[in-house]
Amino acid sequence: MTSVARPAPASGRPPAYLQVAQLTKRFGSATVLHDLNLTVEKGEFVSLLGPSGCGKTTLLRLIAGLMRPETGRIVIADRELTRVPAHKRQVGVVFQNYALFPHLTVAENVAFGLTNQRRSRDEIKRRVGEALQLVRMAPFADRSVSALSGGQQQRIAVARAIVVEPAILLLDEPFSALDRKLRETMQIELRHILRDLGITSIFVTHDQDEALVMSDRIAVMNEGQIEHLGTPADIYTSPKSLFVLEFVGLSTRLGGTVVSSHGGEVEVETAFGRMRAPAQFRPGSPVVVAVRPEAISIGESEGDGRNVVRARLTDVVYLGAKTQLHLRGERSGDLIQAEIARLPPGGLPSGSELALTWRVEDTMVFPAPASAAS
Amino acid sequence: MSGVLSGAPAARPARSRLRFEGDMRGLMALPALLFMGIVFALPLGLLLAKSVQGADGLTLNGYARVLGDAYYRGVIWDSLTLAFRVTLISLLVGYPAAYALARTGGVMQVLLFSLVFLPLTVSIIVKTFGLTIMFRREGILNWLLINTGLTDGPIRFVFTEMSLVIGMVNVFLPFMILPLYSVIRMLDGRYLDAAATLGAGPFTTFRRVVLPLTMPGIVAGSSIVFAISVAAYVTPGLLIGERYMTMSMVMAKAFLNFRDYQLGSAMACVMLVIALSIVFASSFLTRSLEQRGGR
Repeated sequence: MTSVARPAPASGRPPAYLQVAQLTKRFGSATVLHDLNLTVEKGEFVSLLGPSGCGKTTLLRLIAGLMRPETGRIVIADRELTRVPAHKRQVGVVFQNYALFPHLTVAENVAFGLTNQRRSRDEIKRRVGEALQLVRMAPFADRSVSALSGGQQQRIAVARAIVVEPAILLLDEPFSALDRKLRETMQIELRHILRDLGITSIFVTHDQDEALVMSDRIAVMNEGQIEHLGTPADIYTSPKSLFVLEFVGLSTRLGGTVVSSHGGEVEVETAFGRMRAPAQFRPGSPVVVAVRPEAISIGESEGDGRNVVRARLTDVVYLGAKTQLHLRGERSGDLIQAEIARLPPGGLPSGSELALTWRVEDTMVFPAPASAAS
Repeated sequence: MSGVLSGAPAARPARSRLRFEGDMRGLMALPALLFMGIVFALPLGLLLAKSVQGADGLTLNGYARVLGDAYYRGVIWDSLTLAFRVTLISLLVGYPAAYALARTGGVMQVLLFSLVFLPLTVSIIVKTFGLTIMFRREGILNWLLINTGLTDGPIRFVFTEMSLVIGMVNVFLPFMILPLYSVIRMLDGRYLDAAATLGAGPFTTFRRVVLPLTMPGIVAGSSIVFAISVAAYVTPGLLIGERYMTMSMVMAKAFLNFRDYQLGSAMACVMLVIALSIVFASSFLTRSLEQRGGR
């Protein structure tokens, strides 16, 4: 624990409110978190977004003190917490299934943390009342928690966690047990409450929409590391890796090889012709060219500064929020799938010749994943 | 705050159907009820009849003898305090053991399980005789105490109340551990996590979360151990004999030695009332605990 240097504040700025530095966690031979770094500013709402098994819940439990890391440090508000047990960390947690104490009433659940802090009876009563008011559950104070609906239980779980004024609030997929409609309402409501209170929050989710709606910043996690930490817009418009691109939002992707590179622009040979993109790769590198659906226009609007894919439409697969176009290249016969948000008015007849075009600036290039290189 | 949601509780359908299924399940107890009715309740009724049978018609003379006599009242009191001590010690020893059993895994759990279960396969008489050998004046316990310098001379264990309590805890401990184990095993680890993040240290978590949530197991284990301790016959008979008379021993003497069926069955009925009160009290307690937690 001595070899790890404290992350130096950049150019005189005060150190971040939450600092997670070089955190590694193993379960047996499996490394769940690998040398992970994360900083969060006071009052920020940061989501940990990733598929199951990416280590996001483990990171949350490490910050809460419910697990110990193998190496690395956790600092909150200049307090070194790495070796501090959970009950001395002043960290609030809203658990996935709320974990409300079934033997206590709503008010007793909310009072639990305050009682542990040995607050006076009057203060506990007042603060519990305020917290229940905040989540609009005041009339339910004397109910048993198991008599509540999922949404109500969630409100109590939030009230129980924030009433102690924690240094940081951790939320572990708190909406996963709610149905879609209720979930959307609760997301906005919770965001309002936390913003009003100015609580620094870390939110674990595998749902990209949830992360985009709620977060100041999103940390996209994959295989125990943060692949991209940025604002929702940043994550969406300029993803740092192919994984981030694929995990957040829709995209159309073409494999290819860089044929030339000059002036900050590369030319990539693909099965659908040459594509240009603002990027720097050595000629010969295997890459993936990608574009977001809203950048694509269908039809002949060819001109300078646009990439074009000509293909025959073989199938239109309507998937609700998105529509998948299955296309076969005219020259090569290769198949691609283009994901678009909605069809043009009048629809697209199967078998029609299409030209998909988009601006060179909207083209993204990523190194091809190792497995796809063959 | 966005004033969108009302606090109306969601409807719970499915409840009436569940209740109906519960009724059907109740019928499944029928064979056991029939068996117990013939094999258990009928002889008990005959016993009850004997207790009020006098030379000339019905009499409460048997009960007057049992409850009116200071000696027999003393026996009842001694039986109750003995059972209480055995129950308390079993609980204090058994709870941590049950907790360890429920919370460990793998080889450790298998090992602990065998340690709890194996003694049940050994007959009470064997276990108790084994104890008397160990407790003897020249037994291994005294040998150890003297050779480690803890005492100068041999201590008397045999025929003492202490040996009786130790012997009974030895025999009845598994009956405390098993119900505790099953309740502790059901305890959701997230409650412990939640308590910790709310500032509760291990002791506070135990007092405010683990203990209340495992109370049904404590009630069940304690009432089982108390009920069988209060009725114990073999272990007290072998370990202390007539120096510490229990209700069962009085009963046995009345039936076997004196042929005083009135006294014996009156004592049996008193014991039955005690046992029944324990059963009813504990079911009532468990039910109210569950209602507090479960609704």
